[in-house]
Amino acid sequence: MIEITDLQRIYHMGTVEVRALDGVTLNIEKGEFLGIMGASGSGKTTLLHLLGLLDLPTAGRITIDGLDVLHLTDYEKTMFRLYKLGYVFQDYALVPDLTVMENVSLPAMLRKDRTEEQVKKDSFSILQKIGLCDRRDHLPRELSGGQQQRVSIARAMVNKPDILFADEPCANLDSENSKMVLELFHEINEEMKQTIIMVSHEDWHKDYFHRIVRLRDGRVMSDEKNISAH
Amino acid sequence: MGKKELKVAFLLALRSLQRGSRSSTILTILIIGMCFTNMIFLPSMFSGIGQGITKQLVDYETSNVLISPKSGDQYITDLGATLDLINGMPGVQRASPQFSKGATFKYRQRVLGVSVRAISPMDEKEVSPVYTKMVAGSYLGEGDTGEIIIGKPMAGDASVKQEDEFQPSLGGVRVGDSVTVEYGNGYTKDYRVKGIYYTGWSPVDNAAFVTWTDMEQVEGKTLDKADYITVRAKPGYSEQFIKNELLGYGVGVNGKVQTMTDLLSKSVGKVLQSFAIINMVSLIVSVIITTVVLFIVITIKTLNSRKQIGILKAIGVDKEVIMHNYGFQVMILGVLGIILGIIITLALAAYMYVHPIVTPEWSAYLYITPWDLLINSVILFCAAVVAGYVPAYQVSREDIQSAMRA
Repeated sequence: MIEITDLQRIYHMGTVEVRALDGVTLNIEKGEFLGIMGASGSGKTTLLHLLGLLDLPTAGRITIDGLDVLHLTDYEKTMFRLYKLGYVFQDYALVPDLTVMENVSLPAMLRKDRTEEQVKKDSFSILQKIGLCDRRDHLPRELSGGQQQRVSIARAMVNKPDILFADEPCANLDSENSKMVLELFHEINEEMKQTIIMVSHEDWHKDYFHRIVRLRDGRVMSDEKNISAH
Repeated sequence: MGKKELKVAFLLALRSLQRGSRSSTILTILIIGMCFTNMIFLPSMFSGIGQGITKQLVDYETSNVLISPKSGDQYITDLGATLDLINGMPGVQRASPQFSKGATFKYRQRVLGVSVRAISPMDEKEVSPVYTKMVAGSYLGEGDTGEIIIGKPMAGDASVKQEDEFQPSLGGVRVGDSVTVEYGNGYTKDYRVKGIYYTGWSPVDNAAFVTWTDMEQVEGKTLDKADYITVRAKPGYSEQFIKNELLGYGVGVNGKVQTMTDLLSKSVGKVLQSFAIINMVSLIVSVIITTVVLFIVITIKTLNSRKQIGILKAIGVDKEVIMHNYGFQVMILGVLGIILGIIITLALAAYMYVHPIVTPEWSAYLYITPWDLLINSVILFCAAVVAGYVPAYQVSREDIQSAMRA
């Protein structure tokens, strides 16, 4: 369970103070597929980055499964990201010099509790799940945008993280590929009971979310269950 | 930092070099290779000159051990007995005496002042390779009289006008020609030129040699004295051993005994010391250049990869792994650059061995020992690692947000 209390993030741009997040308080249950929606500049990506320990808040508190993550050391945060969190970025963010298989294996290779055999097996099985097993020896530049995003999801999932963060994962995809990615998230959430927190500004995406949090000017405007979700 | 982290860092480094910009990789290796060549070339050339000078000194002046007159004496006296003693000692290949006399050479309209050296050809052949340096005619025989061998620069070239000559000569003496030699004591004799040699060692090339018998005629008596005696050691015997033996047998009473190393430290020691200082300065400059060049190359590489570094950190890759990734890259580039540098250097050394840079005073070739290669490789490798790790350390510590926004 994630508990967010009065989270604030203020940027200073010269003499101007920008309140990207202005007192957000939320609780996210395990296994939820949460959509964070809102217009550009509403603070949704900032919130995702703070939850994902990629940035530090100006004020507020985040606890994940009872652990106050903001007080972890730099190394502890890195390990927390490696073992507990997964990320899918808008621009796929694959390592261009690594093959699909190597990109997917990379986070798993760093885990101390995985043998080389397990890493290979897990990577292979996740690639099978996303249907890119036959492209495992290809480089990212040899794949389409949709395929690259699926590889990015596979990389995020290979360590079976407790929480998966997705920052507008469909922003660079056409509607067909977007649908494919959303279906994949849906399957992951259904089968693995994975907590997924996804940022989106596409209204039709809300059909996939169990719960939708809408932000405006760094504040929660609405927080509602989506009973019509897939 | 565990084995797994190092393995991932190495994989990232290897893949970046294998699949990244090939031209950038080749250029970096080439830069390191050229830096290595630059580091080793000048010092090796100075070493080559130093070695050349040393070899020439040993071959044409001092041999392994030189016995010269004691302080205050003009000659080594009691020569016959001294030579018998030396030649009978263990470790001595041969001792060869030399006696020089100033003379004026006349050939056609040319007049030239030269030092004539009397030698015992059989003995001299054992200690000096002048007999292998004949460019025309032949070397002196033991019983030769009325025959002389002269250096090529002294013989001169008939096609070069006197006013155009680099140094005074006899204007084109050839084998078989007759030259008139007027010695300082007034004795004049016509010699047939038996041979012309060229050693590249100026003091010898500007001298002439006659047999001991001939010089005895000049002196008008048996010559039982010498200016100096050069002693060649048998293979496997050190100069110091020979010197100690000579002193032990009492040769020191009759003359001053010095090894080639003793003499080197006095004669060309300062020159070699100057070379060593220049070498050190050259090495320091080369290391600074190499470090700066590699620092720039790796800094550009890391700055171009800032976003990727941010992403790697975001997915849980520790900053140490990221830093070592660049560290390994620079190590691989360093090793490949050093190998290329060694190949270039050895190729240059081989070329210059066949085609040395020849000046009137010395021939320059590259004198490189495995130790030189090892030391320079280690220095360059360390410089490369420092130059690579500093920017890698800086960029790996950048916060994720700034890196990802790059």
